[in-house]
Amino acid sequence: MISREVAWRVFAAEYNSSHYEIKGEGDRAPSYIVSPLGAMINRVFLAGVLTDLENIGTGEEPLWRARLSDPTGTFYLSSGQYQPEATSTLSKIEPPAFIAVVGKTRVYSPEEGTMYVSVRPEKVVVVDARVRDYWVLETCKSTLRRIEAMADAKEMTAPTVEELVRLGHGRTLAEGVVKAIEHYKELDLGRYRSMVIDALKYLLPEYQMESEGGMPEEAAEGAEEIEEEAVGEEDKEEQVLAIIQKLDKGGKGAPWDEIVDEVGKLGMDKIVLEEVTNSLLDKGMIYEPVLGKMKRI
Amino acid sequence: MEKEELAPHVSEIARVLGNKIDEEQIYKELDTYLNLYRVSLETAKRSVVRKLGGDPNALTKGIRKPITEIGTSEQNVDLQVVVLSVNRKDIEQNGEVRSIIYGMVADETGTMPYTAWDADRFQLERGQAILIRNAYTKEWNGQAQLNLGNRASIEPQPQDSVRLPEGVDLPSYGPTVAKVLELMEGMNSVTISVKVLSVETRKIETPNGPRTVYSGMMADETGKVQFSAWHDFGLRKDETITIRGAYIRSWRGIPQLNFGERAEVRRVKLELPAGEDLAKPKLRDIDHLWSVGGAVDVLVAGVVVDVKKGSGLIFRCPQCNRLVLKNLCRVHGKVEGQPDLRIKAVVDDGIGALTAVLNKDITEELVGITLDQSLKEAREAMNPDVVRERIEERLLAKPIEVRGNVTSDDYGLMMIVTEAKLVVPEVRGWASKLLSEMEGAQ
Repeated sequence: MISREVAWRVFAAEYNSSHYEIKGEGDRAPSYIVSPLGAMINRVFLAGVLTDLENIGTGEEPLWRARLSDPTGTFYLSSGQYQPEATSTLSKIEPPAFIAVVGKTRVYSPEEGTMYVSVRPEKVVVVDARVRDYWVLETCKSTLRRIEAMADAKEMTAPTVEELVRLGHGRTLAEGVVKAIEHYKELDLGRYRSMVIDALKYLLPEYQMESEGGMPEEAAEGAEEIEEEAVGEEDKEEQVLAIIQKLDKGGKGAPWDEIVDEVGKLGMDKIVLEEVTNSLLDKGMIYEPVLGKMKRI
Repeated sequence: MEKEELAPHVSEIARVLGNKIDEEQIYKELDTYLNLYRVSLETAKRSVVRKLGGDPNALTKGIRKPITEIGTSEQNVDLQVVVLSVNRKDIEQNGEVRSIIYGMVADETGTMPYTAWDADRFQLERGQAILIRNAYTKEWNGQAQLNLGNRASIEPQPQDSVRLPEGVDLPSYGPTVAKVLELMEGMNSVTISVKVLSVETRKIETPNGPRTVYSGMMADETGKVQFSAWHDFGLRKDETITIRGAYIRSWRGIPQLNFGERAEVRRVKLELPAGEDLAKPKLRDIDHLWSVGGAVDVLVAGVVVDVKKGSGLIFRCPQCNRLVLKNLCRVHGKVEGQPDLRIKAVVDDGIGALTAVLNKDITEELVGITLDQSLKEAREAMNPDVVRERIEERLLAKPIEVRGNVTSDDYGLMMIVTEAKLVVPEVRGWASKLLSEMEGAQ
């Protein structure tokens, strides 16, 4: 039997940390990327904020690049002429907007040893916040299942699919976990646990007071970089957000030069500013409506 | 070891000793070594032969082989295996009825079918590790089959002495106590406790003449299953029973419980929910349905990730109901296509996916359009696909719950939907619960 490739629920931080690809051999054999937690992904289901969208192709041969942000980071989408339906839907959406995407994994390896992952949409649809929230919840549950399977595998001296299945994990996941554990030697499950905790808090109003934007700041840069986050980062983000809002007089975004000047008065240099805006872009709290302008979502 | 188990060894020793020694005496000697001094069977036999003046080397020694190296015409082979399944069968041979045991055994290298030609002489249990001595093989259906005849013997081995290869597992074989949701095609010797939800009598024609079949629905707390009883057990609606020796065969892609006259049906007192609760469909995981191949009347929850081509406004042949394109039926030629509405949606729960097929009435209710409206829209747009697009826009990415029978074929799992509804999940409650569980665990 040919089974349809399942649409994995996976957060951007986990997806983007993947650097292990299994290429299908022979006719029509599917390729997979193996995530650090053992998801063997050929297809994904995503929901989040479409923060920016740009056609880097031409009118006849469009190639749309888009960024979709979730509570943990940013998915990169690219949709071209071979996905006419998705491309046409995507091109008509005005960011920022909640969208859901069903898509296939794409891998770009500019050189040996480096690997960037993105998503090629098959289906794109505008949704409401409820669908996005439900996706976050589902993805938390699904990530937890992987964390648990990986934790069990780490307990074994030589993890096998059969033993993981015996412990109650699904076979597909067990296969992925056994593959991932060999490839990702330095996996810190604690980071992924706190990523899930932050994503859950993101859904609960009682925690959104803590950080006004409602985005869990620790997980924002992706799990790999959580510990590098400075303590004062949150304050800086608040300041930059306030400035962007203040300078956005015409509703078309705040000019970059003016933001640089304004934060300069607070003693923040351009490099720090760029880091902060990148982080805000990743979290989907601001976007770039046109080049050189920033706008709060 | 019991006397009858020792019989083949006793006769073997007698043969080595030129049949000059009384078998009763040999038995006593052997019994002393084995049951008093507790030496291994092999040592015992050699010692008895030596003690009674014979040559121990004349004892037959089977050749120890792994399963993959066993050919189709071995005369004398020893192998260490795990018994995967044990089935009893009565056969008629030369006008005499005898019981045999058959099933599968496995070692590190593979599996093979076996038959033990005397059910009373071999105490085989599913999952048991044993050393089989002096077996022979024959070709059967193109592969080697292991036979345990008069000269064969078995010795129990430590449970961990045989490791099963990856992918070979015990649960799918042998006398299994199963719940309804575990039932899958090919299971034999199933023991199951259920309540009879309905039963009816049908007469059918078989190659061996007319037979009466008692069929209907049974259930336990995990789900429902259709059954066929090939013998009159006097089954009644609402009684609770335990069936031993049932087997599972697929009927129209759905695993069905079968039991015949060799099965045993006992009336038992069971703590099962009331009939109407058992009749309700149960929520099932898609990948579990995939692993058992199908189920009758279940619920599946997931997200719509695709509304396939062939959904929306379609036209059917008025004679055979087949889909027609441009009023051309591939059987009846030019026909007046009859409009119809349907949805073929892929429902995905993150672990598995199935195709849900929704008919006109369910489509109209779920999407909120009627067939007439769809026809109008398609005419205005001069494109019937606008209806599919509209349905997709409405359903894509939405959480949905569908109910129906699930079957599988070469293209995967399919559900013929009897009820469908979009669900509004309670996100905060779940998030809060999950969060306290996680923080509690830290």
